[in-house]
Amino acid sequence: MMVRLWVLALVVLALVVLPGAVQAQVCEAQAVAEVPAQALPVRGEPMAGDQEVPTRPRFEVLPAAVSVVPGLLLHGMGSLVAGDTRTAGRHFLLQGSGLGLLVAGGIPIAMSGASRRVIGPLYAMTLTGVGILSISTLANLYGAVSPAFPPGQVARHLPPLELEAGYQHVVDPAFDYRHFVSVGALARLNRVRLEAGVRLSPDEGNLRVRVGGAYRLLGAPEGSRGRQDGTALDLEAAALAHRYPAEVFTLAGGELFLRGRYDMARFSPRMAGSFAEMGVGFAMQSYIYTGPVDDILFEQLLFSFGYGVYLGRGGPFRGEAMLYYDHRKDDFPGGIKAGGGVPGFVGLRGRMLLSGPWGVAAELQAGSAVVGRVSLIYALGGEP
Amino acid sequence: MRSIRQGAAVLALLAAGCSQRPAEERALKDLRVGQVDANGVSFTVEDGLAVVRKVEPGTLTLWGSAPAFHVRAVSSAGASEEWTVVVRNAMPDAELSALVGGEPLLVEALPEGPLPTVKTWKVRVPAGAEARLTVAPPLWDQPAPFRFAALADVQEAMPRVGDIYRRINADPTLRFIFFSGDLTQRGSVEELEEFQSRLLESRIPLFATLGNHEIITLHPRYHEYFGRGNLHYTFQGVHFTMIDSGNGSLDPRAEEMLDGWLAAGREAVHLLGTHIPIVDPIGVRNGAFASRNEAAALLAKLANGKLDLTLYGHVHSYYSFSNAGIPSFISGGGGAIPEQFDGVGRHFLAVEVDPAQGVRTVSLVRVD
Repeated sequence: MMVRLWVLALVVLALVVLPGAVQAQVCEAQAVAEVPAQALPVRGEPMAGDQEVPTRPRFEVLPAAVSVVPGLLLHGMGSLVAGDTRTAGRHFLLQGSGLGLLVAGGIPIAMSGASRRVIGPLYAMTLTGVGILSISTLANLYGAVSPAFPPGQVARHLPPLELEAGYQHVVDPAFDYRHFVSVGALARLNRVRLEAGVRLSPDEGNLRVRVGGAYRLLGAPEGSRGRQDGTALDLEAAALAHRYPAEVFTLAGGELFLRGRYDMARFSPRMAGSFAEMGVGFAMQSYIYTGPVDDILFEQLLFSFGYGVYLGRGGPFRGEAMLYYDHRKDDFPGGIKAGGGVPGFVGLRGRMLLSGPWGVAAELQAGSAVVGRVSLIYALGGEP
Repeated sequence: MRSIRQGAAVLALLAAGCSQRPAEERALKDLRVGQVDANGVSFTVEDGLAVVRKVEPGTLTLWGSAPAFHVRAVSSAGASEEWTVVVRNAMPDAELSALVGGEPLLVEALPEGPLPTVKTWKVRVPAGAEARLTVAPPLWDQPAPFRFAALADVQEAMPRVGDIYRRINADPTLRFIFFSGDLTQRGSVEELEEFQSRLLESRIPLFATLGNHEIITLHPRYHEYFGRGNLHYTFQGVHFTMIDSGNGSLDPRAEEMLDGWLAAGREAVHLLGTHIPIVDPIGVRNGAFASRNEAAALLAKLANGKLDLTLYGHVHSYYSFSNAGIPSFISGGGGAIPEQFDGVGRHFLAVEVDPAQGVRTVSLVRVD
């Protein structure tokens, strides 16, 4: 119980490090208004569109170049060169916080020999540090190039029901399976979100079923955001069953996950159109074999973080894309084969509604295996 | 310069980790262990169970990776006939026997030096003949109970590993050390040399697979020193398999080998050692295989192969648990940074095995 409290505390800590996260229910217009006007270079053009967007900086080559060198090492240098000292300061704070958490968690892990007594909270702290550092890195790059294009906007209204069907390809040297049919459903009922997904390999009979739900603790429901931004905190729960008939075992388990999203426009107008995500959770699962029954119920630390962008600007075309890290080892991609089994996998996913009821989703994941998935979405209701 | 090399090594390791088969090259290296042509004679250590350390005119020096192994010597016409065979890391009571076409060859044991694990013989391999040499202790192929030590994770504690060898030496019933990886901290040549030289303090040989620390260096040289990462041998009716899990995974080539070894040992007592645990009983830590599903598939295969025991390292503590119904122990007590708050410290396991009954006992032996 103590471990879980620690984990929860760390997520809250991570969200607090991102300025203003606790005000997740504040509307976007208010959030934008909180950014002091003097922090913005007033050299750009106001954005078109019906959503209220602050004056954005103009794209300049030098700050963009400095954001890469030396900005990749010292985040915020590009903003500093552009004269945006407030954004630069927040970058320094963010990077410093990430490094601090990484060191504060990593050194005790090494010194304690990854002791079973403390490893859960220490990994969560270290991953929080890595996550904040990664988010800071990507935000630094996004801030450098984003003035070159109009930012996307969070969808004000998403459909109450989305159905999807698609194809998943898996290249995993440990398994013969390659081709999967992928189907899923997503329902939004005010603050509640229900999800189900099935992956089936017709050749191998490999079947993964995941059903779950989420409750929005903070932030506007996806189905009716109105003018509020995408900042939110969700508590998720899911059950999972994965059958491997060829290898003769089945994975079954349940999990709880706390996921936070932070609209980066709150961090700086340079970051408008982007968001950061971080979440932590815990899974209990069992591997069931034929014949001998294993006597261990395995636990798993769940952790993910990512940086994404909103797609679309208030019209029927709306969606988002995100580059992310996921710490779990029991999904198709498994973990990266380095670091003694500790790292999870990285991924890039996008989901967008195009026109009318139709949309597409795509995802690429790389860990022990490489997984690619494309799906066609059919949405019921929820026209913009 | 050293930091640049270390940085390059870390980057290479990360790049390898992003590959789906980072251990494939090592599995291929396994297949080349124990082969050499010298002075008109082609030597092949069967199943790669010894490393060719040195070849000089008339002298072949091997490093044993198993209690017993065979060497095929195919001699061409006009080849050197008189050979001195030196075997390091041999069983203290090992003998050399040689056959050509079913007829024994004359073998002369040379006087023993101060090291019980270094054995030297002279044998005449007739030119144009094919000989089969066997290096093994007496009755190695006769089923009988015996004990061995299981150890792993010495790493940066090499200067203190002599304590462990002295504790092992104090138990005359232990026949050899079954070492589940992480001999060194970074796998450098200097460290491999140091491990080898400190092993001279042990009165019994050490048969190892590699760990993740052996592959941190840019160009790992483990195979040249200690041999295969994936290997299988038998001793007194018991089957031993070691697999290379240095990347938290098993390469498909190694898995093919494992399939054959599981079939060979299905009706016998069969033990498996590997460095990174297939599963970690402390799930939030996951000091285990990178993919839990690959791990489960492997365990299902091991259970189906009626494996009797899995021995792991990597986690610097002691755990006794079960995976897929197979009794399992993690014993990373060789001296690397110990897991704190566990009350264990440096240790090894003393395993008593009976080919007629299975694994009789696994005892924790504390060193500190």
